[in-house]
Amino acid sequence: MLLTFLPSTSFSPLLANVHSYASEFLKESSNLAFLTNSLLVAGVVVGLILWFATKATKNMTLIPHKAQNFFELVVEFLYGQVEGIVGAKIAPRVFPLLATIFIYILVSNWFGLLPGVGTIGWGEGTGFMSVKEVHDPLLRAPTADLNMTFGLSVSMFLVWLYITIKEVGVWGFIVHTFGAKGGLKGIMGAMVAMVFLFVGVIEVFSIVFRPVTLSFRLFGNVLAGENVLHTMSGMGGFIGSVLAPFPFYFMELLVGLLQAIVFTLLSAVYIQLSTSHDDHGHEDAHH
Amino acid sequence: MDQIKGIAYQIAGDFGLAWGKFFAQVIIFILVYTVLKKYAFGPIMGMLEQRRQRIADGEAKLEKITRDAAEAAKNSQAILDKAEADAARLVKEADDAAKLIQERRQQEAVSSANTIIAKAREAAQLEQEQLMSQLKREFGRMVSDATSRVTGKVLNTEDQSRINQETSAQVSA
Repeated sequence: MLLTFLPSTSFSPLLANVHSYASEFLKESSNLAFLTNSLLVAGVVVGLILWFATKATKNMTLIPHKAQNFFELVVEFLYGQVEGIVGAKIAPRVFPLLATIFIYILVSNWFGLLPGVGTIGWGEGTGFMSVKEVHDPLLRAPTADLNMTFGLSVSMFLVWLYITIKEVGVWGFIVHTFGAKGGLKGIMGAMVAMVFLFVGVIEVFSIVFRPVTLSFRLFGNVLAGENVLHTMSGMGGFIGSVLAPFPFYFMELLVGLLQAIVFTLLSAVYIQLSTSHDDHGHEDAHH
Repeated sequence: MDQIKGIAYQIAGDFGLAWGKFFAQVIIFILVYTVLKKYAFGPIMGMLEQRRQRIADGEAKLEKITRDAAEAAKNSQAILDKAEADAARLVKEADDAAKLIQERRQQEAVSSANTIIAKAREAAQLEQEQLMSQLKREFGRMVSDATSRVTGKVLNTEDQSRINQETSAQVSA
């Protein structure tokens, strides 16, 4: 039934003709098929981040220079947020990963808003250096490629699994997920245990689907934003194409920041949920 | 199961999911993560920690300086209080001494004045007595002269003595 339903909902751009996938540069070569426009931009984004990080951390002094000051501001702010969620004990271990995720997603999202990204490329030619419509853009925001967002969320999932097992152990994780809380005994205790067992099964499904939800949320928002900007750019001739998308650029700046925050915060919350020790439960057990 | 597999393949096809692209993106992410962790976050966190430590040291020093200043102020206040008490005591002692001296001088002056007065009285008394005796003698002589002239009698020593005694008694009265 699902298969018969799906073809009618297969993804197709509702507004502008923005592809839902990244374009390959070498379509003929199956070995180099991974070289896509989003991978190219990902490389550029990584280069930008590393360039700025190098500039900020070069010749560091107690009285910081401008780049160092800005980078310290970002790092200190992020560390405070991460520490506030996962706690002081786990924070030093997960901070580099969460901070990298935040910065990488944010820069990728905002890079996708630069003029030329998604609008310069190959298509049906109408003249010298002009096409009717860009089918294969040269540049594409990395976060508008599901491979990137899924790769990030899977990496995050693996780190989450590693930290969780290291912190609470396999048995601790099982007890944390399926174990009954409340310390009830007798028939009531058995009933509550059954409920928590069922909740645990649902929790396992929720955990398994976290990489999917994380990646599709980010990918969907960025792709939708790109669609909106392309659609607005195609309205009302030259003036319209400049003025119409203008407000939406501000919205997309906000969306880019928001999605980076959402991805990072959710990752931190997942880590906190699975590594927080059930102190009350232990206390009850001791009593 | 086949249905789920079919759905997964369809989604992968629609969104261009492929192992090669997926791993390329993961490798890029691992690269940026590794480099940032080692060369950016590490040094920055170290610098922040160093600065935090420096601020904490500065705060501790400031606290010590404040404590020392309060101690010094307390000490100087104690010294001032002691000096003030000493000064007050000295002033009181000087005052007492001055009063004592004044009283002594006053007593000496009073005593001296009394002595002078007594001496003056004595001198006056003596002078009065001398005058009185001189007066009595003169008066007696005058009475004797008058009596001898009136009576034409030469008074003998006994008469003169008796007239002198009577005259003296009347003058004294």
